[in-house]
Amino acid sequence: MGGVAAAAVTPAIVIAQPAPPANRTVRAILHGDIPTFDPIWTTANMAANHGALVYDTLFGIDEKVTAQPQMIGRHGFSDDKLTLTMELRDGLKWTDGTDVTSRDCVASIRRWAVRDGAGQHMMQRVTDVSPGDARTIVIKFREPYGIALDAMAKTSTPFCFMMREKEALTDPMQKIETTVGSGPFIMNERETRPGTQYVYDKNPNYRPRSEPPSWIAGGKVAHVDRVIIQNVPDAQTAIAALQAGEVDYVETPSLDSVRDLERDRDIMLAPRSPLGDVGWIRLNFLHPPFDNVKARQAVLWAVNQEAHMRASFVDPRFYQKCGAYLTCGTPMENDANTEWFRNGPNPERARQLLRESGYNGQPVTLMQATNIVYMNNTAQILAQELRGIGFNIQMVPMDWSGVVQRRASRAAPDQGGWNIFLTSADGLSSGNPIWAAAHAATGERGWFGWPSDEKHEQLRNAWVSAPDLAARQKIAREMQENAWNFVPTVYYGQWKQPVAHRRNVTGWIATPGCVPFWNVRKT
Amino acid sequence: MIAYIIRRLIATIPVMLLVAIIVFLLVHLAPGDPASVIAGDNATSDQIAAIRAALGLDRPLWEQFAIWIGNVLQGDLGHSLFWNRSVSELILQRAEPTISLAITTLILAVTISITLGVLAAWKAGSGLDRAVMGVAVTGFSVPVFVVGYLLVFVFAIQLGWLPVQGYRPIAEGLWPWLERLILPSIALGLAYVALIARITRTTMLEVLAEDYMRTAEAKGVATRPMLLKHALKNAAVPIVTIVGIGVALLIGGVVITETVFNIPGIGRLVVDAIARRDYPIIQGVILVFSGVYVLVNLAVDISYTFFDPRVRY
Repeated sequence: MGGVAAAAVTPAIVIAQPAPPANRTVRAILHGDIPTFDPIWTTANMAANHGALVYDTLFGIDEKVTAQPQMIGRHGFSDDKLTLTMELRDGLKWTDGTDVTSRDCVASIRRWAVRDGAGQHMMQRVTDVSPGDARTIVIKFREPYGIALDAMAKTSTPFCFMMREKEALTDPMQKIETTVGSGPFIMNERETRPGTQYVYDKNPNYRPRSEPPSWIAGGKVAHVDRVIIQNVPDAQTAIAALQAGEVDYVETPSLDSVRDLERDRDIMLAPRSPLGDVGWIRLNFLHPPFDNVKARQAVLWAVNQEAHMRASFVDPRFYQKCGAYLTCGTPMENDANTEWFRNGPNPERARQLLRESGYNGQPVTLMQATNIVYMNNTAQILAQELRGIGFNIQMVPMDWSGVVQRRASRAAPDQGGWNIFLTSADGLSSGNPIWAAAHAATGERGWFGWPSDEKHEQLRNAWVSAPDLAARQKIAREMQENAWNFVPTVYYGQWKQPVAHRRNVTGWIATPGCVPFWNVRKT
Repeated sequence: MIAYIIRRLIATIPVMLLVAIIVFLLVHLAPGDPASVIAGDNATSDQIAAIRAALGLDRPLWEQFAIWIGNVLQGDLGHSLFWNRSVSELILQRAEPTISLAITTLILAVTISITLGVLAAWKAGSGLDRAVMGVAVTGFSVPVFVVGYLLVFVFAIQLGWLPVQGYRPIAEGLWPWLERLILPSIALGLAYVALIARITRTTMLEVLAEDYMRTAEAKGVATRPMLLKHALKNAAVPIVTIVGIGVALLIGGVVITETVFNIPGIGRLVVDAIARRDYPIIQGVILVFSGVYVLVNLAVDISYTFFDPRVRY
């Protein structure tokens, strides 16, 4: 009895966990290494994967792209839509054994909102975030803000994870080092080896919701006792480990190996995220030639999405062409002003637009991330396409880390700046004009490429304040009409990376932004 | 001898300092920025600048170097920018797998290659000699990762005899430790087998042509002692030299092998650090590798006195 009592008051995080049997342990190889245990400090998706295991969110987005309460029970807006009151549901505890309180959540929301684009957007309209009582959080708005719940529910990084007040009061520019959450798993620090393997044990005190799981909403029921995330950087080794049964799940199997995997009776392929990822071509608005809308339109008409997708994603089951500004497959998809897509690519039209831009043949710097296969392929195809319509493309090969450093430079391309770089974003955030920072057209205050367009910003603000889905869809249509005129960005396609897992490990939920390990069963 | 060792150790100080300066400059002048990696894809320029300031990366390069080298001189290699761990701690954590892989590879490579080299020299011009040289050329020509993938395909996936990847500490048992090192050691060792076998053969051929070998043969010395006691000992200096050079090559090979076989060693540590520009780890590991290389060379030089009494320091 004494032992039971002692266990009840001992923080779960310090209890030595015996290794569970193999059929209660899931081993997974995700797309990279976890760069830090603070999922607010970085937007790296691997940190979000760690966060989704150990932390919980107030709301969670479901497969209908709708925010559902997660840590929250009762909630609602005041009649004037200016006050949001949220009450924590019963029984929420941190893994140190203490109760989750509204003070913890208030501090967490504030810290998240400093680092997150959607949070920043929301806080510009917030006058106060404060605890009502021990379990009630109150947010007061300056004006009605229809997407407040969506912002706190979103699965684009950083998620709005709840942390203890002690950690959440940390300067948002400094990373936290302590991992105490209230999510379905507990990080096992004894077994974790940074850079190689990360071990999470089932949180015995977690109380999942009763609804069925849907993306990161609903009941997060842990059916296994331990999750081990291995960092295996070599794609071939990851596949071999899966085939040999040494791991159960590979998030990003190389597409070269898909046919072999499909022939393997012990392995299944499944979609990773229903909306996939969207490829972005960023053009630098600050310098010629892309300070001229005609030059940007020329790129829009020159890009052949089919060529880009086929080169990297091989099988049409895994990619699609998309002319929508806000991700195909989302409620915001529409066909406004997509002549360039329906009748393109059209190199002749692109050449004409480039001539009209007054382009004088100056070098155009294209940054090529050679260590990311699809970006490397796309850069080479894009260079060829743009040379074909008259651009003088100069490719600058470097690794991705080099790209992310140089893209921050506002200098002229011949003085350390750039004209074009390639990136990608998950389909869910690409489909939301607020969640993806790259959708902002606020000039030098915005994201790399620094597009500027007053009408676009008015439409983004109108979209936020729209009363319902139909109104948002109408504004999204206007936004797209305008976007494909001023061309803030160009897309090179949309793809759906499959995951591979052992057939005896089931229950994987295809979710944008993270890999959920709840609902997973192993037989 | 003691005076020589002390002189050599003192001479390593400017070498290490030069290495430190070059490494620091290379790492900091190369494109890439840990703050950008930390900030992630949605971060704005202002957020990246704030992180740079928080990490002290906005200070002048000379100031960053002065701080780092000052700490190194006090035995502190710094802290990882990403993990709340000291570089020394991370290196120590990763040392066992790398040392294990290096030792098993060297034992495997030296044993096989010297045997093959001696046999090839003894039967020079025969089918055995040609076969050994064929293996040597192949081993030298095929990259480590190709050999690694082939070994994994055959012995781990098709036959299921050995694991694909990973590492178990020796404290968990000899076989669990060894079974995960067999394929990586073969993959990594093949190039050294080729290198050392060729040198052994060439040197042995020279020694076997010496007058004293003919004398030994005329006096009726049996083949085995003649080869091993008389010939191999006299051929040892170049072989030991090439083994020493092999240790340097091994450092490079370990990086690739640890990646292919997912061994959590120092090679993986530095590869991951380079990808995310974790400057203190890159600098610390390269400094340690340089120190190891300098010490191995010293050990090789000292070993000459054992194999060749004419060598005196």
